[in-house]
Amino acid sequence: MQFGIFTVGDVTPDPTTGRTPSEGERIKSMVRIAQKAEEVGLDLAAFGEHHNPPFVPSSPTTMLGYVAANTSRLILSTATTLITTNDPVKIAEDYAMLQHLADGRVDLTLGRGNTGPVYPWFGKDIRDGIDLAIENYHLLHRLWTEEVVDWEGKHRTPLHGFTATPRPLDGVPPFVWHGSIRSPEIAEQAAYYGDGFFANHIFWPAEHTQKMVEFYRKRFEHYGHGAADQAIVGLGGQVFMRRNSQDAVREFRPYFDNAPVYGHGPSLEEFTAETPLTVGSPQQVIDRTLGFREYVGDYQRQLFLMDHAGLPEKVVLEQLDLLGEEVVPVLRKEFAAVRPAHVPDAPTHASLLAANGQPIAQ
Amino acid sequence: MTGATPLGRRSIVAISAGLGAPSSTRLLTDRLTEATVRGLAELGIETDVEAVELREAAHDIADNFVTGFANSKLRPLLSTVANADAVIAVTPTFNASYSGLFKSFFDVLDEGTLTDRPVLIGATGGTARHSLVLDHALRPLFSYLHAVVAPTGVYAANEEWGSADAETGLAKRIERAGRELAALVAAREPAAEADPFATATAFEDLLNGTS
Repeated sequence: MQFGIFTVGDVTPDPTTGRTPSEGERIKSMVRIAQKAEEVGLDLAAFGEHHNPPFVPSSPTTMLGYVAANTSRLILSTATTLITTNDPVKIAEDYAMLQHLADGRVDLTLGRGNTGPVYPWFGKDIRDGIDLAIENYHLLHRLWTEEVVDWEGKHRTPLHGFTATPRPLDGVPPFVWHGSIRSPEIAEQAAYYGDGFFANHIFWPAEHTQKMVEFYRKRFEHYGHGAADQAIVGLGGQVFMRRNSQDAVREFRPYFDNAPVYGHGPSLEEFTAETPLTVGSPQQVIDRTLGFREYVGDYQRQLFLMDHAGLPEKVVLEQLDLLGEEVVPVLRKEFAAVRPAHVPDAPTHASLLAANGQPIAQ
Repeated sequence: MTGATPLGRRSIVAISAGLGAPSSTRLLTDRLTEATVRGLAELGIETDVEAVELREAAHDIADNFVTGFANSKLRPLLSTVANADAVIAVTPTFNASYSGLFKSFFDVLDEGTLTDRPVLIGATGGTARHSLVLDHALRPLFSYLHAVVAPTGVYAANEEWGSADAETGLAKRIERAGRELAALVAAREPAAEADPFATATAFEDLLNGTS
């Protein structure tokens, strides 16, 4: 099982000091956080893509290329790459390029994006969101698996005799996850291609995530990629830890109360009861995270949101020490102990290459 | 219809956005509910009624705006509405319109919840001068939500609760509205909450753009 972190890259004032980092500080800080993730033994770091302040990461492969050069083992991923408003040709080329530079330590999570104006800013219409995700990914998939592509669709200029360059590393495209909070169409899409399904999970009640994952597993089996419990599932999570759980609650509360996404709404206690957010001791985080398996089954990837809502970098790095040293080793052991042998790990470049040296089955 | 075998069973959710206790909005809601139940009984249909006071869900509705999801207290309420065969929706008149709480509740309902769902609208206010709130505010809201709004909406001004019915006609309006809603309910199959997973489009159709 893979454990990692994901970030949305928000530039948020620290509510306890009023200080806002510059964009440059935040971007460099995200690099140091990713390096720390590798240092403490996590498997991957995933970066969001946004095109509106207060978020800084508009250019994921620039970021990931830089992080790749400054790490040696960490898998580089996204959370998410906008499949709707990006040109699929550029995604095919950018991520293949990144694969070569990062020696295959690359996968990506596709998402639609839910910021209304971003669509028209990129010449698209949010009402076409699902259709764009379906058509664009179909083209992306072909560009990675077929040498020469002839293609005509509704949403982009036709291609005739086109070869995306560079070709995927070793002829193996990056493994793709599809992220969605509430659209069965995206779970259906992930199932059809035998790709992974990522449930962000962190702002939603468990029963909702459970239904989405259950549907994806069922359809994964329907399309002949394996049994339902062999489908590739990833989950988001969100934690804040201190050795003493009361200290964690006290320290995190002002960040929670003022957080951009859910601040000024429910109390910290209500929100932790309703969503996977866990604020407490490392042991509480371990117990809660092990509980996710009870409603999504044995899964392959667990990401944690650690750096947001204005938390200072120093605190985030301390959190990663706790995560890497005290939480993840126990989670690895405990999840492995209950996982049946026929449940696969999340595909990596090495595993896909070893499987048959061919692109993943479709 | 004494002795007649019921032709079926339907459910009504009666939503009051009244804030006081007791509330004249709740009073009107209850009267409209009773009239509808009588109307359905005349058509041989038994009715289950769920009365909802939005006041009790005010915090949860506000949280839904901020967090983007319905919490565990609000979800059963949304589900009740989605599974109801008809909705009776009654609001006090605030500043020439429905109350903010009333609108907020319909803003957090999932899209499509009220499509083709019979709805009876009602409103209360200090004086009869506000009675057009029904047709200027409530009716357009429910038209937008693709609900089937009963032709008669009922507005009750404070003074009407203490006036001779021959003068105000409030009881008659309530009775007529209830009968209209009952007829709309009886003409439809029982409602069921949409299951997005059961009706999901197969991938080939998504790809062919035939969804």
